[in-house]
Amino acid sequence: MKSRTSDPAAEPSSVLYTRCTVNLKSGTIHREDVPCRNLEDVLGGFGRSFQILAERNISQAYCEENPLIVNTGLLTGSSAMTGLRTYFSGYSPIKASKKGLPGAMWSTGSGNFGAKLKWAGLDELIFEGRSATPVYAVIRETPDGAQVELKPADHLLGLSTHNKMMVLQKEYANAHFATIGQAGEQWENVYFGAVGLSTDNQLKSGEDKMRFAGRGGMGSLMGYKNLLALVAQSPDKIKPLSPEIRDVNINVVKGGGAARLQPISRGGGGGTWAAYDVLQAFHAVPVNNFRPQGNDLPEQLFRERVEKQFIIKSEACYRCGITCHNNIHEKKEDGSAGAFLAKFDYEPLNLLGTNIGIHDAGQAARLIHLSDNYGMDSISLGVTVSYLLSYNERHPEKPLLNGATFGDFAKIEELVIQAGEGKLPEIGRGSKRLSESTGETSYAYHVKGLELPAYQPETNPGYAWAIAGGHMSMATYGMLTREGKSDMESWVEGITQTKLQIVGFDMIGLCKFFDITKGICTQMVVDCLKSELNLDVTTEALAAAVRRAFLRGLALELRQGYEKEEYTLPAEVWERPNTNIKLPNITSPEFIAELQQRVWEIFEPQLARLLPDS
Amino acid sequence: MNVTVKLVGIFQIGRFKEAVCEYPTGTSVQKVVDELLIPDPLLGIVLINDVHAGVEDLLHDGDTLCLLPFIDGG
Ligand code: SF4
Repeated sequence: MKSRTSDPAAEPSSVLYTRCTVNLKSGTIHREDVPCRNLEDVLGGFGRSFQILAERNISQAYCEENPLIVNTGLLTGSSAMTGLRTYFSGYSPIKASKKGLPGAMWSTGSGNFGAKLKWAGLDELIFEGRSATPVYAVIRETPDGAQVELKPADHLLGLSTHNKMMVLQKEYANAHFATIGQAGEQWENVYFGAVGLSTDNQLKSGEDKMRFAGRGGMGSLMGYKNLLALVAQSPDKIKPLSPEIRDVNINVVKGGGAARLQPISRGGGGGTWAAYDVLQAFHAVPVNNFRPQGNDLPEQLFRERVEKQFIIKSEACYRCGITCHNNIHEKKEDGSAGAFLAKFDYEPLNLLGTNIGIHDAGQAARLIHLSDNYGMDSISLGVTVSYLLSYNERHPEKPLLNGATFGDFAKIEELVIQAGEGKLPEIGRGSKRLSESTGETSYAYHVKGLELPAYQPETNPGYAWAIAGGHMSMATYGMLTREGKSDMESWVEGITQTKLQIVGFDMIGLCKFFDITKGICTQMVVDCLKSELNLDVTTEALAAAVRRAFLRGLALELRQGYEKEEYTLPAEVWERPNTNIKLPNITSPEFIAELQQRVWEIFEPQLARLLPDS
Repeated sequence: MNVTVKLVGIFQIGRFKEAVCEYPTGTSVQKVVDELLIPDPLLGIVLINDVHAGVEDLLHDGDTLCLLPFIDGG
């Protein structure tokens, strides 16, 4: 990033970002400094990539014109805590309108790849076309700036996300990696391939503790392009901590923002896993394909139970004091930690555990481990499997595939392995397509083609307007449970004003745990931008840019054929109201209909002129 | 007055799961939270008799107070 102004909101074109466009078909590589069009471009992430995607008319995800955009945010690679995000954007193989057009999508993860990419001298990489043979890309810092080179990747074919990184690590010192697994390689039959991002901990220990940009099948798009891995090689260039950023970082760790995500041993809440206990108090932990039963089954995966059997290590990405990872290890006889099994974040644990009838931590760990290593989005995988199990429960006389039912670990494991190897398109193409093939769509728990995260839709009608996956791009998932909001006014305000601001984190390069309740429009972020980059940006300008970026995403969905009636929840929610959930009912057909009307009344007039004329 | 206090998740560590506690009339939720040494940033949800409430709310004899940690996505 090169800046000739300190006021990027007023003079965005005086800020230039370094982009490298790689044509995988011809092998041509072109580097340029691109002036920003607006503050969204300056901030980066999906704020920039969606403007690029909006310039293209794409009618199917797997086509040469669909780019894969890999970029960072302004604070990626900075000394601001959590500044490690990498973003992957493109038209998604899995998110699709009923008209069949692919939705624009981004996904993001931490690990150290993004920072290395920035330090190597690039803000953005665009992969065009498709390589005829498997390749990987190496991004290196040279005296002439960042250089990108394509290399044959035959030796990586068939390896897991983690094993690809281990092979590349032997060749490239001082580097970090983004890789796909076998699932992404089998893109024709797996639409929810994820991209793994290496962590320092992983490269040092050899344990498969990577992070993921999981949602939306960006790993499958990478696989379609025959691009198996990215290597970013550069010395670390983190700036010395300024007093301002030191204060911000202390505030992030000790202040309200992320304290509750810290390890319990440090007085924190123990990461996202804590959601199990809280949601169970309302019988709102998803069980057996989002049908909580009002019993104590979910308690079997409570942390206090798992701790008796396994060692839980609280670990972190590079230099992050939040330490939100809960890594599960075998417990040896002497009580010390044995082999690493899996990471227990709330979403994968629930969706590959309780929600498919698996209540044994070791079995859930095995499924998460498989999902990560094959490189699949654990949310889409888990929810598609839970749909299948629900179908089989309803049709015992004529079950699908191997006849697996809830809790049948051996058969579920077989499904996961076959899906990861690309041998089970029924699972690999997601719950929307599977349910359309059976004709039973009401209990397929996706919205707009993207599977729901592990919060009951009964607690979150905001899912309907999330532009890139339920909890990542619309922070309404706690409005009923946490805030007790069940009135129409609060929900309209939440969806159209306050809760959409969460997507700011997917522009600027920070984790949402930096300050999940307040978002990026805070003095903390203003201080970071000033101290790291000498940019003066107000919280108001940040809020306006985040809002424009969100609305652009919504406008892009409509352009890709989404009808307003697709902004809804799975029909089972009101066809079979679940009285076990101990919360007010805010998903009756009447409530949803009024919410739709009120939300569109606000959004629709604001969608004009956000997209280029086509 | 007697109030049944239920604690959820990490709040049980070193405390209790459920207990009937005696408080002077007019005790607020905040007072109970402070007495139990529950750090403010960790407190996410307050329920009085299964209804969402705030820390400033006053408790009454026979109430059930439930204190839950924050939930964050991810
Ligand atoms: S908050 Fe968690 S995922 Fe984000 S950088 Fe810190 S440890 Fe990594």
